[in-house]
Amino acid sequence: MEQRSLIQRAIARPEFGPLVLLVVELFGFWAINPDFLSGQNISNTLAFTVELGLIALSMTLLMTSGEFDLSVGSLFGFSPVLMWTLFNAGLTSLEAAFAVAMAVAALIGLVNGWFVTRLKIPSFLVTLGMLLVVRGTALFVTDGFPQRTWSAGGHWLAQALVGDFYVGGFRIYMSLFWFIGAAIALNYVLTETKAGNWILATGGNAGAARARGVNVDRTKVALFVLSSLMASLAGVISSIRTSAANPNSGTGYELEVIAMVVIGGTALTGGRGTIIGTVLGIFILRVMRNGIVLIGVPGLAYNIFIGAIILGMMALHSWLERRHQAGT
Amino acid sequence: MAEDLIRMEHISKFYGRVQALEDVNLRVTGSEIVGLLGDNGAGKSTLIKVLSGAVPATGGDIYVRGRKVQIRSTTDAIAQGIETIYQDSALVTQLSIARNLFLGREPIKGPRILNRMDHALMEQVARDLLKKVGIGKDIPPATPIGSLSGGERQAVAIARAMHFDSDLIILDEPTNNLGVAETQGVLRFVRNARDSGHSCIFIAHNIHHVFQVVDRIVVMRRGRIVADDIDPKRTSVAEVEAVITGE
Repeated sequence: MEQRSLIQRAIARPEFGPLVLLVVELFGFWAINPDFLSGQNISNTLAFTVELGLIALSMTLLMTSGEFDLSVGSLFGFSPVLMWTLFNAGLTSLEAAFAVAMAVAALIGLVNGWFVTRLKIPSFLVTLGMLLVVRGTALFVTDGFPQRTWSAGGHWLAQALVGDFYVGGFRIYMSLFWFIGAAIALNYVLTETKAGNWILATGGNAGAARARGVNVDRTKVALFVLSSLMASLAGVISSIRTSAANPNSGTGYELEVIAMVVIGGTALTGGRGTIIGTVLGIFILRVMRNGIVLIGVPGLAYNIFIGAIILGMMALHSWLERRHQAGT
Repeated sequence: MAEDLIRMEHISKFYGRVQALEDVNLRVTGSEIVGLLGDNGAGKSTLIKVLSGAVPATGGDIYVRGRKVQIRSTTDAIAQGIETIYQDSALVTQLSIARNLFLGREPIKGPRILNRMDHALMEQVARDLLKKVGIGKDIPPATPIGSLSGGERQAVAIARAMHFDSDLIILDEPTNNLGVAETQGVLRFVRNARDSGHSCIFIAHNIHHVFQVVDRIVVMRRGRIVADDIDPKRTSVAEVEAVITGE
């Protein structure tokens, strides 16, 4: 086992498949349309990718613990609406509005976690219900109209979250650094810390983990809260960047995010998760969406490719899993 | 005679109106392996669940080293030094041997706020322990439990109980579904555990396995203990079977 070469060990890692796919994608699109790797295209793609990516990172931990959260898309829409409604009405300062939006998001995550751990209702049903409640609230309080956010220009909070600057031909948003920071931090949590061991054990065998004194319920609740917070942060970032807080934004994101996570190699059933894989999964789907349009495939055909990638990657992961089990 | 490590007095347990345990008294002394026998439904599992904190008793007292204790959860039981090893369910198959050994009690390195596990220490202890229980010449501690055999998994669970200074290790059907060689391995781990000062309660359907390893046999029938001092060296298997069936 120890004698295996570096290459063999790299291939055995669950992130290897997604990495190959991403590289193939990048080269394929670049070969067909060199503009694909232009500075402008890269910075445009990155700006939105990291917003979805923030949600996918926390979803990775949640799915590793054996649960998932369908309400993230609705929070992505709701939290900025709440924040800008408070601010535009002159009720609070922007900082206070941001804090209130985050606190409400944390509360929603807490309720999700409470329903799942205390009432033992599957997270699919709990977060589906929460999706409708949150989305409905966003539509109700705004009458379906977007909230204006342009008055944020130059505010330090907006600058810190999504301030942009140019490096050469690249336009870089601050959100990229939040994404990188979150990816590093959550990867550290999952692989290095005691909390990470608890998350893995919770998803792997909750009964055994509980018998060892692991607080399974608190672990799950904390991850639901984290998931809601990250979805809200992503929504706020997106609203400032696009200068609009639309109560409908984020529709369907939950499924795209879950697809990113499983493509990266995290098990839908829990017990196995990888942040590095998720980062690759995020880029695989976003690069696909961007590249397909650039090489002239009709945008409406996008979902065909995404679906094919998901099916293909699932087949690959299950094949690797079986081969791994048989080989040892 | 050695002081009692565990003493259960007048334990009763009702599931609704069904009485699963009736005035059960059980004691285990230090460095003793007690075999708990009985037919299906005799109350063995319920008694063990009460002692390991999985279900609360309806009445009765539990003493550990002469001190009366309340065992409300598995965490309480572990804190009292009572460790239960169930067939297959005690380990997380996706995690490595080292991560399983320390699950719930991971050593932290560096500032607490960073919550960082001491991987080097965990791997070192895991390697030593695997050697101690008799496996592990060629099994790295980073191996996931999922790729170990049933006997090796039992060994890891026993090693974990030994490492955390559990005074009493309860083995519930540890030899079910194991091959001949693996069964011998598990029985050897149990003897090792006793020799290093741990007590065991050993539950098995296979009376021959029990006879090979225990110091004393306790027999339950219909929620009661009907014999608690059978010496396996001076009793035949047939005699014990007669006590179990009550014929």
